[in-house]
Amino acid sequence: MHGSSNLLNWILWMPLIGAIGVLLLPKAKESAMRWWSLVNTAITFALTLVLYSKFDTSVPGMQEAFTVKIPWIEQFNIFYSLGIDGISLPMILLTGLLFFICILSSWTITKSVKGYFALMLMLQSTVFGVFLALDFFLFYVYWEVMLIPMFFLIGIWGGENREYAAVKFFLYTFFGSILMLVGMVALYYATGQSTESFDILALSGGKFSELTVTMFGSTVSFAKLFFVFMFIGFAIKVPVFPFHTWLPHAHVQAPTAISVILAGVLLKMGTYGFLRIAFPIFPGAAVHFADAIAWLGLINIVYGALCAMAQTDVKKLVAYSSVSHMGFVMVGLAAMTTEGMNGAVLQMFNHGTSAAMLFLMVGILYERSHHRWIVRPDGTKGFGGLYTQMPIFAIIFIISMFAAMGLPGLSGFISEALIFLGIYQKYTTITVISLIGLLLGAAYLLWMFKRMFFGEVNESCKSYTDMNNREILFMVPLCIAVIVFGIWPSPILNIMKASVGQLVSMLSKF
Amino acid sequence: MQLNYLANLSHYVPELIVCLTMVMTMVVEATYANGEKSKPLMYWCSIVGLFCAFVVLCLSLGQAPTTAFFNAVVIDPFSTFVKIIMVLGTLGAIWLSHSSTDIYNPVKPEFIMLGLGVLVGGMLLASANNMLTLYLGIETLSILSYALASLRKNDERSSEAGLKYSLYGGISAGLMLFGMSHMFGVLGTIQFSGIAQNIATLSQNEMLVLIPAFLLFFVGIGYKIACVPFHMWSPDVYEGSPIPVTAFFSIVPKMAGIAVLLRITISFFADEGVMQYSWIGLLQVIAALTMTVGNVSAINQRSIKRMLAYSSIGHAGFMMLGAIVLGEEGIRAVLFYGLGYMFMTLAAFAITSFIQNKYGNDHFERFSGLIYRKPMMAIAMAIIMFSLAGIPPFSGFVAKFHILSAIIKEGYMTLAVIAAINSVVSLYYYLKVVRLMIFKPSEDNGEIQGFTFVNQSVIVALVVPVVILGVFWSKIMAVADGAKLFIQ
Repeated sequence: MHGSSNLLNWILWMPLIGAIGVLLLPKAKESAMRWWSLVNTAITFALTLVLYSKFDTSVPGMQEAFTVKIPWIEQFNIFYSLGIDGISLPMILLTGLLFFICILSSWTITKSVKGYFALMLMLQSTVFGVFLALDFFLFYVYWEVMLIPMFFLIGIWGGENREYAAVKFFLYTFFGSILMLVGMVALYYATGQSTESFDILALSGGKFSELTVTMFGSTVSFAKLFFVFMFIGFAIKVPVFPFHTWLPHAHVQAPTAISVILAGVLLKMGTYGFLRIAFPIFPGAAVHFADAIAWLGLINIVYGALCAMAQTDVKKLVAYSSVSHMGFVMVGLAAMTTEGMNGAVLQMFNHGTSAAMLFLMVGILYERSHHRWIVRPDGTKGFGGLYTQMPIFAIIFIISMFAAMGLPGLSGFISEALIFLGIYQKYTTITVISLIGLLLGAAYLLWMFKRMFFGEVNESCKSYTDMNNREILFMVPLCIAVIVFGIWPSPILNIMKASVGQLVSMLSKF
Repeated sequence: MQLNYLANLSHYVPELIVCLTMVMTMVVEATYANGEKSKPLMYWCSIVGLFCAFVVLCLSLGQAPTTAFFNAVVIDPFSTFVKIIMVLGTLGAIWLSHSSTDIYNPVKPEFIMLGLGVLVGGMLLASANNMLTLYLGIETLSILSYALASLRKNDERSSEAGLKYSLYGGISAGLMLFGMSHMFGVLGTIQFSGIAQNIATLSQNEMLVLIPAFLLFFVGIGYKIACVPFHMWSPDVYEGSPIPVTAFFSIVPKMAGIAVLLRITISFFADEGVMQYSWIGLLQVIAALTMTVGNVSAINQRSIKRMLAYSSIGHAGFMMLGAIVLGEEGIRAVLFYGLGYMFMTLAAFAITSFIQNKYGNDHFERFSGLIYRKPMMAIAMAIIMFSLAGIPPFSGFVAKFHILSAIIKEGYMTLAVIAAINSVVSLYYYLKVVRLMIFKPSEDNGEIQGFTFVNQSVIVALVVPVVILGVFWSKIMAVADGAKLFIQ
């Protein structure tokens, strides 16, 4: 099966080829760059669909047919190794889809078009790298390299306060990942003299539960210490409660497409890190800290929702709603039950689509209004009566809002229901309190909707035109996704079931 | 005996070439009464000479380690590699001095001559195999450096820098000599191999004398590396010196100091015991302090040169970690670090220098909007900044990975975490430069004359290895594999 083993290579490098193409185009050919990027992401998305069609849902682990493994640095036993399983495939599909949509939604970018599209495609390549890497070192390299295009995308094309947001984003993530680097190297040497490697699969399975390590003069459990290191690294990305402060800045300042990528894909890299690295490598420590993770997730849900409720800036509101929704993923992970884990992975996918929709809608509105105030600082309403002014916009907004809220029949419901089923078996209190979070979620979204869409048409809103064809075009696939996966989630659930089941049964031994 | 002497000289060709180049430049300078005519000739003469030295060094990289001149110097792959880094560093600094307006035109020949002299001192240090050679190397290096620091005649800051440098240098050299004499008194030899043997069989009393003696000895090396608490002189000296000199100082003396530190640590303290315990303990504390002080002080600087100077203290601390692990991994890590650091430093100082030529100062604001004026240079500078901070896929990351992996392997977890957090601190001030260059609009759209095609190409040529070493380092490390880097 040599043909399909190259598929992952193609998915990984295709965007980079696109980026090089953009760089080679002359500066004046802006529309050529847009079309080239669009075609490129379309091909990449098509490749991910091919991957989906060839994927064997009955295999729990890495799919042999696609695996790539080439030595990279012999001295440290580092491999360029890629693989795909049921946990990474949904993320790959999501990445392929969202970047395609984001390129389409970035048609209106006029500031240094060349740099924008080149960086965007580079970003896509590094994101694929994170989701495909099976070598910890390779994973780390992609995890870090991703920061560079992201830093520039926020810093150059962002809002007024973009520099601060970009630097904060960079520093926070770097802090987390450098701790991860220490943990990663320690793991490498802990594997034993002759078998030292960064192979994630070889490291998995709880081999380090007996070891201890001395730090700051006291001896602590190796697994627990480095689980905490990796937890911080991934938690900053998710973001889990005390580490979340970079997110509102980055989200609000980033241009629309970047907010979409940030919420839709980058936050998932954090939870993906737990699923791929932290939990499989340190299952004992993960079980040990499960309660703490569940409580932190709960804080995320409630605190994120309360913060969202207090916002007067609609983009900030959506940003905090992401914090809240990622809390559900954390709680689902901490439950470590089949339902909870499946729900968490499904929620990662569903939040990717619903948060992307909300951010895109806010972006579409912003292009018309050039402000995002629900209530302006002087107390007047920023918007009003958008429902009559922009009916198509309002309908699509309703779909995205309800999907985010978890209304039955839309995708968010299935994943949240699964998560609740999963955690109820273990944490009754947390289940009950997080239901309140769900209620708060409905409250802030509906309240926002009421203030923006109902009532008298605001004087300033009268000039707004409804969505144009291009905007409808990129919203429709997402609408279809949230509706279809809300009624019929099995295409996604089926691909993840075997892999998640394997992880859960491994964790249950500790 | 005479034949034997000549045979020894054959190991010493690179140093001889550098000395010869120095003499040549002096002759050229003295021959022409008109300074303007001699300058290009001197410049090319030194470039060619250094290039020859570089080629000879590269060719001898694979040779088996030997000693020469009755064990006074040792030629091993380690010393050869350090010399390569220093020769390339000098080459870069001389190239930089050619176009720099920071050094007054009439003084440029002096820079070349003095720089070559310092290089000879550094090369001597890198292969020192007894205390006498070591001291000779340190003094050759230092005395010429004092003159270099005060190269901007008529400039108060530069004279102050020279004076400060020489006062500190004199005191630390004195202390070092004092320590060495105690060492000789106790151990009865100045040969490194002899010292290493005798250290293994010490009585309690002898140790009581030796530990303070080694402390005093460390002052001399610490001063060259500019590690805390002997770093006080360096910001002022770096600030006061012209940019090419600063670039030169942050490569050559530093690498020489690190090389000596590595050699001494690994030859003397390889055996476990009280001596090893106290020396390694001392190094740990000093390395941690050096990193932290260097990086924290760099945060609040206004001038890029000063920021780079402070950050070089931080990087020296990082390299010191390589000495702590007492093994091949540490040596390899330091050499890799040094090589990448040399390229990055030269390129960063080069860009800074051209900006300084244009505006008369190198404050951060001068870099704003560089991407709109000189996109290639802005991208090069951004790559260097990311690399210095340790972001993959650049050589700075691989270097940090090597150091971290070496110390984690030996179980120095605390140090690893301190080093990691220092990277985050350093990222903050490196990002400041990137932010200004790329996010801010340009203040002034005047042409920056320094960025000619040739100069830009040289800078790009310095940045390319930074990327290559960051991705394909397997091949470079393979060169070092298996070869015994060191004789002990």
